[in-house]
Amino acid sequence: MSVSRTLEALLFVADSPTTPEQFARAMGVPVFEIEEALEKLGGRFHHDSALQLIKIAGGYQLCTKAEFAEAVARFTQPQRNRLSRSLLETLAVIAYQQPVTLAEIDSVRGVDSSYSVRQLIERRLVTEVGRRPSPGRPTLYGTSQQFLHSFRLDSLEDLPSLEGVLPITVGATLPPDQPTLALDE
Amino acid sequence: MASTLVRPTPPAPIGSTPPVEFGIECPGFTGSLGTLFQTVRDGKIDLLGIPVGPICVAYLRYLVSTPEPDIERSATALLVLAYIVERKAFGLLPSHESDSEPEPELEEAEPWVHEFLPVIGALQRLADQRDQLFFRSSDAIEIPYELPVQVEGVSSLDLARALQRLLDRAKPTEPPVPNRPRRSLADQMKVVLAALRREPTPLEELVTGEFTRTDAVYWFLALLELIRLGQAQVVLGSDGVLFSRAERR
Repeated sequence: MSVSRTLEALLFVADSPTTPEQFARAMGVPVFEIEEALEKLGGRFHHDSALQLIKIAGGYQLCTKAEFAEAVARFTQPQRNRLSRSLLETLAVIAYQQPVTLAEIDSVRGVDSSYSVRQLIERRLVTEVGRRPSPGRPTLYGTSQQFLHSFRLDSLEDLPSLEGVLPITVGATLPPDQPTLALDE
Repeated sequence: MASTLVRPTPPAPIGSTPPVEFGIECPGFTGSLGTLFQTVRDGKIDLLGIPVGPICVAYLRYLVSTPEPDIERSATALLVLAYIVERKAFGLLPSHESDSEPEPELEEAEPWVHEFLPVIGALQRLADQRDQLFFRSSDAIEIPYELPVQVEGVSSLDLARALQRLLDRAKPTEPPVPNRPRRSLADQMKVVLAALRREPTPLEELVTGEFTRTDAVYWFLALLELIRLGQAQVVLGSDGVLFSRAERR
């Protein structure tokens, strides 16, 4: 049983992006072999399949090619919930400024964004990533894995570049001066 | 004896009664007390050039000499004078930052969301392109328990397995005792932090002795909180996740 074929089977059943490390653990083979097999598989799907192997949200996943979208959509009739302008605006602010507090989002947008943030959390595009060590310990928001998946991004580094806006903090991590507990050791 | 019923004037709220037109004439200002108040409030006059003390003294003399002063107006005038005195007192305070550069005036930040317009369009296009792709699941991925922090190579499932192994070793939870003091997660975090080692260690080795299922859950929650706060680290070992104390920054 070749690594490539086993990998194809795992990719077929995987319903979320899977990393080479996860495949390696499941198959009991070194990661480099998985990476080689993924590359080979990607080429094969690209030339002779209605499916394609893409790198998304930090892992690999099979999906249909765009040219079959119409036929698949007619068949599956998916419920598409497009983001409204205000949600997209709020999401962009969070994506490029994360980790960010609600007050900072309000400040950038000039309007109350609490409803938009709640909506984005419900859609799992935004998640709480911590609390800022400032008075009131406001909640910090960042984008989620679902965000990367919904916009076909592999990581936050793949976001469209934005000149003039503060650099993106890659990863939903706390800033270096994150709060630390004053615990007696 | 005939008497006349007089409806008393209802008291006016402070601030709604204009102060008496008490004229002021000094080198730095000429006008009424009301005008002085407005110019001070709006920051249109430098109070350091106005002799506020003599003005107050003059008004108090006027007030004392008035046989039946209007209480409302007098109170408002005194309030105005108190405000002006306070503003002048602030102005007279020594400035510790006189040698440094003047601070820029605080202005309300203007919304700058327009700078995001290019990427909003780009994100919309990305979402449209993504809509052309169909994955194994009907729509997007489902992550039931997304981790609030990024832990390299460790999934929520890996952590769940570690908790399960700990729970398997635990004794059944004892029945609840009424009026037992509530356990604090912060206290548990101290215990966990003290138990954590520099080298990555499985959770089962960190928790020693007998413990209940409740203890196990407290341990796990405290560990997660310490990871979130950057005081503990989790890595994936060959047999599951390993926990260690984070290096101090």
